[in-house]
Amino acid sequence: MTTRNIIFLGLFLLGVVIAMVPENTTKPYKLTAEDMLIEIQGAAEMVSADDVAHWIISKDPSLQLIDVRSPDEFQTYHLENAVNIPLSVILKDEHRDMLDQGIKMNVLYSNGTLNSHQAWMILRQLGFENNYVMQGGLNYWFDTIMNPQVPSVFSSDEEFAKYDFRKAASGALGGGGAVAITAPAKTKADKPRVIRKKKKKAPAGGC
Amino acid sequence: MGPLVPQEIIGADWNLFIAFVIGIGFGFALEQAGFSSSRKLAGMFYGYDTVVLKVFFTGAITAMLGLLFFSLFGWIDLSLIYVNPTFLWSAIAGGAIMGAGFIIGGFCPGTSFCAAAIGKIDAMVFIGGIFLGIFFFAEGYPLLKDFYMAGSFGPLKVSDFLGISGGVMTFLVIIAALVMFKLGELAEKKWPREEY
Repeated sequence: MTTRNIIFLGLFLLGVVIAMVPENTTKPYKLTAEDMLIEIQGAAEMVSADDVAHWIISKDPSLQLIDVRSPDEFQTYHLENAVNIPLSVILKDEHRDMLDQGIKMNVLYSNGTLNSHQAWMILRQLGFENNYVMQGGLNYWFDTIMNPQVPSVFSSDEEFAKYDFRKAASGALGGGGAVAITAPAKTKADKPRVIRKKKKKAPAGGC
Repeated sequence: MGPLVPQEIIGADWNLFIAFVIGIGFGFALEQAGFSSSRKLAGMFYGYDTVVLKVFFTGAITAMLGLLFFSLFGWIDLSLIYVNPTFLWSAIAGGAIMGAGFIIGGFCPGTSFCAAAIGKIDAMVFIGGIFLGIFFFAEGYPLLKDFYMAGSFGPLKVSDFLGISGGVMTFLVIIAALVMFKLGELAEKKWPREEY
């Protein structure tokens, strides 16, 4: 057999192999377990309920609230302008554009923080950027933002400022019946940095 | 880990440098295969020399096999590979025009630069023709735009269109290539040319 025929036979056999094996077993996961652990310990994915309230009231256009609870729960109550993407369907292609984007800042929430964190971990593993979790979830949201507790007289000024803001926010967001007397306190509201994706350049080629 | 450039494992500056090196390599391979001779390329049409077919199809199936095996081993994420969008009618028209130019001029764009580099006058004229073509296309773009954009399928792959896996598609292309190589050699025997 000539060298040429051996090469042809080799190509043919490789073709047979590649036709038999399942396609693309490449894991799309981008983060290793170690990377995840570092991120979780850093807790950089958390945003406070006060910040979220501030962004909702100031109608921050970069905020995108994502409700990972079931559609029923979403129907009963959800935060203003939130989008319902239940945890069970989070991997569907149709949600990918929203969950993996460089323009907006996604804030995930559920009743507590368990489901929102589960969703966040999946998204983070896929390498998606700009996803955050609302600290405490909706339960905490109701306890603090919608029904703020009057701090004790010994509390610091900061506590009172926070209370004033929550009271005002509660009024603005239609909860608790608290009436905003003082103007909302200026919260720091340090927003997590939105990482903009670089546009992929289209390579051109040809003979 | 791959592809290296879209994931910025290789930066934009190195990207250009590597493209330069690959370009040199491509030109070297073309010249080594004898593609700077216009007779060689025209021979494909007349049937007396089918080296062009063999070289390009071997290149194509090597790349197909390589990408699929790399994907299989987890070395490359095929979803990040750029796929040219298909515009059906302009692709057909462009293919016909390029094919005609191939036969008339005896070069394809890549080989014309190779041949110009070793001093072939006809290749330089051919390159002049390429630039004229680019100029007239660009100037006439408003007239051609509708046709140019017609039949848009997006970044469609034949395997997706037929609903078969990339592996089966590659296997079919390899079979087709081997059959064509055989036919090419029969043609070379049937319409031989002694001196060219």
